[in-house]
Amino acid sequence: MNSDLMEKDTSIALAKEKWKSNTDTNRKAVIRIKDVRKSFGDNHVLNGFNMELYEGENLVVMGKSGSGKSVMIKCLVGLIAADSGYIEVMGKEIATLDRQTLDELRSDIGFLFQGSALYDSMTVRENLEFPMRRHREKLGVVSDTTPLVIEALENVGLAHTLDLMPAELSGGMKRRVALARTLILKPKIILYDEPTSGLDPITAKEIIELMRSIQKKYGTSSLIITHDVDCARVISERMILLVDGINYAQGTYSELSASTDAKVEAFFKK
Amino acid sequence: MTHQVKQFFVQAGELSSFASRFFKEAFTPPFEFKELLRQCYQMGNRSFVLVGVTGFIIGLVLTLQSRPTMIQFGAVSWMPNMVGISIVREIGPVITALICAGRIASGIGAELGSMRVTEQIDAMEVSGTNPFKYLVVTRVMATTLMLPLLVIFGDLIALYGSALVENLKGNVSFQLYFNTVFNALTFGDLIPATIKSFFFGFVIGLVGCFKGYYSKKGTAGVGIAANTAVVMASLLVFVVDFIAVFVSDIFYEL
Amino acid sequence: MAKTTLENLRLGIFVILGTLLLLVAAYLIGNRQNMFSKTFNITAVFKNASGLQNGNNVRFSGINVGTVKKIEMVNDTTIKVHMIIAEKMQEHIKKDAVAMIGSDGLVGSMLINIVPGTGNSPLIKEGDELASVSKIATQDMLSTLNVTNENAALLTADLLKVSQSLTRGKGTLGRLLNDTVMASDLQRTIANLKLVSNSANTTLSELNEMISSIDFKESTAGVLLTDTISARKMRNIIGNLETSSFDITQMTKELNTVIGGLNNKDGLVHTISKDTALVYQLERTMKNIEQGTERFNENMEALKHNFLTRGYFKKLEKKENNRN
Repeated sequence: MNSDLMEKDTSIALAKEKWKSNTDTNRKAVIRIKDVRKSFGDNHVLNGFNMELYEGENLVVMGKSGSGKSVMIKCLVGLIAADSGYIEVMGKEIATLDRQTLDELRSDIGFLFQGSALYDSMTVRENLEFPMRRHREKLGVVSDTTPLVIEALENVGLAHTLDLMPAELSGGMKRRVALARTLILKPKIILYDEPTSGLDPITAKEIIELMRSIQKKYGTSSLIITHDVDCARVISERMILLVDGINYAQGTYSELSASTDAKVEAFFKK
Repeated sequence: MTHQVKQFFVQAGELSSFASRFFKEAFTPPFEFKELLRQCYQMGNRSFVLVGVTGFIIGLVLTLQSRPTMIQFGAVSWMPNMVGISIVREIGPVITALICAGRIASGIGAELGSMRVTEQIDAMEVSGTNPFKYLVVTRVMATTLMLPLLVIFGDLIALYGSALVENLKGNVSFQLYFNTVFNALTFGDLIPATIKSFFFGFVIGLVGCFKGYYSKKGTAGVGIAANTAVVMASLLVFVVDFIAVFVSDIFYEL
Repeated sequence: MAKTTLENLRLGIFVILGTLLLLVAAYLIGNRQNMFSKTFNITAVFKNASGLQNGNNVRFSGINVGTVKKIEMVNDTTIKVHMIIAEKMQEHIKKDAVAMIGSDGLVGSMLINIVPGTGNSPLIKEGDELASVSKIATQDMLSTLNVTNENAALLTADLLKVSQSLTRGKGTLGRLLNDTVMASDLQRTIANLKLVSNSANTTLSELNEMISSIDFKESTAGVLLTDTISARKMRNIIGNLETSSFDITQMTKELNTVIGGLNNKDGLVHTISKDTALVYQLERTMKNIEQGTERFNENMEALKHNFLTRGYFKKLEKKENNRN
């Protein structure tokens, strides 16, 4: 027990060293996470996680299920408050913001939820209009939001579903509508929480293609959280492995997949 | 055992802080007026048939069951007074509240529970809409406002059911029946019952939202949320009723 | 969008209907308590409130016209009752109207009955005090009547004794009648009997008057019916009257025997035919007794038809029928 703990501590220290050496000071970071800790009762999910997302890049955070990826991403938008540590998004520290500033900041962040999270009681159109309720002035639209809704739906190729209810859509369509909703406020950062989970490989591939094309079109920075190696291989420019609540290793896909570290290898084993 | 007692107080505390959060959020802008109207429709109009049918049957049955006893006492002409007062004072509000606890509290519990589980509540939060205002405040307000109206309709339909029995079995005209009922009623019967219904509505909405909003993850969590919402709401309706009788006793001599 | 409008329309209808119903219910209840119509206040003083409460109805000629607002204890025998009366009734209630406390049916709540007066008094005004009939007064009346009846019963019992002693003396009567002194004694006795029957006559006519006076106060006596104590008293009186009448019949029967005995005895007939004055006196006595019983019969008849006691006689009749 004690030796386990010791080993963990040294590995954390090791990771921190790695992190410092790899910090790229030449690029502008839109998200900065330093030494974030979060625990639910006795379950320590994050044990001092560090990460930076640079402008315009695709960063994949990989981890096993239950490793605290979703907790980390929710801390970024203030859905969960971290126990300690520093989280900065677009130059603002999340923990210190009041509700209004936080809402303004959130309008610059798109969030694609794991299960699509479409509002069941609303039509596709109402789902897409929902984020605009509080952010009309940002878009400069006063009355008619229909062109924006249609444009967003066309981006994901689902313009015909405008007046359908989410229950009438397939899983892949739901995910695409959710993506359209994420994009409707033209965010600068998009956070993807398991974008391919629960989808068949073909639909998953379509979604990944969509993500890439969107990034190309709008030039957004993306943080993708996944445990899907294929997804990571296709989309990632840089990868962070989240193990035991810390950023255990980082690098490109090819760097990491070639690693001989046992814990890193475990990710890439088929 | 101690765990259960502790759990009981924890629940009471959580529900109280949920209620205080409701009052804090309910009176600060922005107000979700459109959604409030939608919820009022969902809870008021959609429950109307259910409440109407239940009220009608209760009025019918109450009259049919108590008639033989009243005949034994030779006080059958007092039926409208007895039935009228018991419906307006107690049976109408409580039965309506229980029906609504079954329909509305479970509905809210299941809806908010599944929204919590599928991260729809988080999605709302992220897209700049306060989900507490949009989901909880509107629902609690809607039940609080709609329940008294439902009670009034329920009372009227129950009285109509009772009048129907009296008309068929006792040859009492509808006019005589309602005249007698309104002669027997005082403000001391109507006002406490109406105020009580507001609280019933508040409790039903609050418990439904509380259970749904803090639903545990997973599909089982939704089921538990819906189930416990009904149980807790029904129980609290009786607790509120008990308190209401004591309080109204202070203002109106019963 | 159209769906929302329809929903809102339905919601609007629902809310407005519900609110209207609530208001109508409140109005109907308030209307009964004279909260929304114009009212005026009057008072009445009673000796005994008989369980009257604030909010009890006030009836004028059987119509609900208002409620009891306040019951005030002025002193130990004076209770002032304040009433709120609908203003539109002001043109119907006159100053000589009488207020009394009654109850609404057998198990009903207490209420105040205002009975219209008979005269042409002016109409009542705000703050007027109505005359009241307390239950005590009617009970007093009944108890006086009871005493009178008891006296009448005693009187007839005495009469019975007199006539009984007459019949008992039958064996010696012949002897007594032969004796002139005894004859004059008998003469005197009969004169006394005449006096007695005369006084019985007057008593009965007084009784008659009294009963007809009850009859006259029929309107106020209506209240007595609901009072079980009064009813019991009435029954007592009637019972007494019955015994009296029974006694009288027995007395006349016995007198008949006396006279029959007199007729049978030759000596007596002789004496009587000789003494015309005695015969005349006897005749007068008989007439008086006859008149007395006739009057009594009339009284009984009047009682039978008086609606107060009608029920009782009907019950008697029914009992009689059942026995047959």
